[in-house]
Amino acid sequence: MNFDPQPIDIAESLKNWGIIFGVLLTLGLSIGFLLSAILNTKDGISRYFVGLGEGMQDTFGMSCRRIGAIVRLTVKESVRRKALLVFVVFAILFMFGGWFLSNVNERDELQLGVYVSFVLKAISWLVLPVALLLSCWSIPEDIRLRSLHTVVTKPVRRSEIVVGRVLGFSVIGSLIVGIMSGLGYIWILRQVPPTVGDKLIARVPVYGKLSFLDRQGLDAKSGVNTGDINEFRSYIEGASKARAIWRFEGLSDDALRTNPENQQPELLIENNFQAFRTHKGEINQVLNYQLTLVNDAKKLRVALPSFPVQEFGENLRWIPRELSYYDEEAQASKQVDLFDLVDEDGKLTMEIACVDAGQFLGMAQPDMFVRLPDRSFASTFFKSALGIWMMMALIIVLGVTASTFVKGPVATLLTFTLVLFGAPAHGFLNDLVSGKVKRGGLIESGIGILTHANPNVDSQAGGTGITKGVDRAMSGFVWGVSHLVPDFSQFRYTEYSARGFDVPMKSAILPGVFLLLGFLLPCFLLAYFSLKLRELEAK
Amino acid sequence: MSSKAVIEIRNLTKIYRDFWGRPKVRAVNSLSMDVLEGEVFGLLGPNGSGKTTTIKMLLGLLFPTEGEIRILGKPATDVSKNEEIGYLPEESYLYRFLNAEETLDFYGRLFNMPADERRRRTDSLIKMVGLDKARRRQLKEYSKGMTRRIGLAQALINNPKLVLLDEPTSGLDPIGTREMKDLILKLRDEGKTVVMCSHLLADVQDVCDRIAILYNGELKQLGKVSELLTSQDRTKIVSTSLPDAAIEEIKAVIAKYNGTTEEVSHPTNSLEELFLKTVAESQQRPGQRVVQPR
Repeated sequence: MNFDPQPIDIAESLKNWGIIFGVLLTLGLSIGFLLSAILNTKDGISRYFVGLGEGMQDTFGMSCRRIGAIVRLTVKESVRRKALLVFVVFAILFMFGGWFLSNVNERDELQLGVYVSFVLKAISWLVLPVALLLSCWSIPEDIRLRSLHTVVTKPVRRSEIVVGRVLGFSVIGSLIVGIMSGLGYIWILRQVPPTVGDKLIARVPVYGKLSFLDRQGLDAKSGVNTGDINEFRSYIEGASKARAIWRFEGLSDDALRTNPENQQPELLIENNFQAFRTHKGEINQVLNYQLTLVNDAKKLRVALPSFPVQEFGENLRWIPRELSYYDEEAQASKQVDLFDLVDEDGKLTMEIACVDAGQFLGMAQPDMFVRLPDRSFASTFFKSALGIWMMMALIIVLGVTASTFVKGPVATLLTFTLVLFGAPAHGFLNDLVSGKVKRGGLIESGIGILTHANPNVDSQAGGTGITKGVDRAMSGFVWGVSHLVPDFSQFRYTEYSARGFDVPMKSAILPGVFLLLGFLLPCFLLAYFSLKLRELEAK
Repeated sequence: MSSKAVIEIRNLTKIYRDFWGRPKVRAVNSLSMDVLEGEVFGLLGPNGSGKTTTIKMLLGLLFPTEGEIRILGKPATDVSKNEEIGYLPEESYLYRFLNAEETLDFYGRLFNMPADERRRRTDSLIKMVGLDKARRRQLKEYSKGMTRRIGLAQALINNPKLVLLDEPTSGLDPIGTREMKDLILKLRDEGKTVVMCSHLLADVQDVCDRIAILYNGELKQLGKVSELLTSQDRTKIVSTSLPDAAIEEIKAVIAKYNGTTEEVSHPTNSLEELFLKTVAESQQRPGQRVVQPR
């Protein structure tokens, strides 16, 4: 898995949400108007507007006490239908899990990752099916057993039923996630070997933007591909002008942390470069890289001594506040403060060069970062639990929504499909829209198939205006569909905790929160109108 | 009983359609009638006559194909009308994992009732329907009669103005049936309007002021029970026991006025009256029993 956190563009996300929601709302209202006018020939239009008025009343006139009553009912229902038996499975897993997880041959931090992954995945795999089944079966069962009849014949708005059910299942799910997370956290603390205890931290990285120079020192789109089919990392050639350049932003004094060796505030850099050897070289010798701090505006270039690349270990590099360097123009050694190299807006550029001739160093954007002061392991662990909770909440929202217009088994299948294929489908559709998939256009692909064109190259003919226009329209449609499929991978924070990283707010938690919130209003409206327009006693 | 209509039904039609929207069954056809304030109104008809469909349209569980319903002056789809309505469904479709107290508390909350009032109403209703000893048992452990009782209690939790009872005596033993009928009359005496539909004609006759008879979704009879059941072409005289001579004399008088004596007999009590009398006596004298002759 590529681990490359991308911060969310809130304005863009809101704009996209607004477009899709607006289009769907307009479509829904128009179809509703037409159906009402056609099916109710006499007073269809007036019924339509009365229905809309009632919808507004039902949305804004909800009673907290009635919602609370449905929440309590839902919790009692879940408990008395033995949903909490999931704790028994959880207990069994954790009683014996330790036997199979410990591996003395594994590196400490990797072994730690196994424990953390195990706990978080166990919670996910236990909680999510429970949430799925409870939310998808509840309303259809209420309708089948007609217990909903005694509720809707009270002054209960259908909106309150939807909200009450969603909140009720969220309460029971929160209880399960909360208790399991707490127990899981204690289990990890007790289970991990004492030698690894100090590795239970949450590293807080500041990532930079990566660009490359080729062996002639010219700007390049990427480094060299050494033949790996996974193009996540690209490589720079040793002893050449090839460089990997990271541009960091937002650095300040707060980024400094105390170096335990000299108790001085210094900047800590961590990297994880991969080596690619074209010759065996000295068998006991590791590759080296050189780090140069650059400030173009001040024409300062501070080259630091070369540093070994530990391919199977931790690569930490402390950069002191006071730096010595050799000024080639002045032909003299000079001192400079680290923050003289940092712009006013906190920008700092770092160039990486591979020292060894004939060898390559591979790197991707997240392979080097500035490490801010660490946070506690609890913070990353419980943020990951929050990701599970958000995923559970979205499943509940989707499940309850689906259950308002289809029966339990179909609602379960529908929601399960969205959970299982949501992330891959989202990725594939995005690739189609963004043009990553060659010959992605429907018409253009069709022509390509008929003319036996090479599918791996873009169309040479360029297509006519019509085909391109149709393909563009189709692309817009696919773009819309891709946003209707929830990308559940946005909630998967386990990787962060398992690798000992803090779960970042902008590139992980906020996208998850926005995803959950983005589905709330459309799902609520869909569920409400499905239940409102449905004849509960229909034969 | 006043002349103010609590339920107004105008030209009500319900057509069930198939998947393709084609008409399948016309369950109710151009039904128009009123239910007046303070009366006990019975809706009668054989299976499939449309009485349950009508009740469900009144409650908003089904939507009319045509026509209009107004309940307490509001359209049937208006949720706020339910503030004043109590509904006892045909089967007691309650949450079986709740106990009696929890059930009434839940429905009380749905009426936005404050905690004190909920507790008070819950307690009095549980006692009224005779479930005091079973108030903490989950409904799944209840017998059918007990379930009907708690169903009735939930229908009355909001002290409604209009009570809709679908087969109220179904599943009840004769004592429960008698209590239910007494309760319906009590509700009427309190000024409430009761609409009930039932197959048990004797029950309807006992408690209803007016009835409507539906057949194939159409209204066939509507009026006061006393008027509908009175035979204007016959006369019934009930007296204390008379000697044969007196009976012959009365027959002669009837013949003199061109009448025909169809039957002279001693009236019988209803089976319900016999049953209730026997149970009451058994409670007073537990040791008494009938010995079957050999």
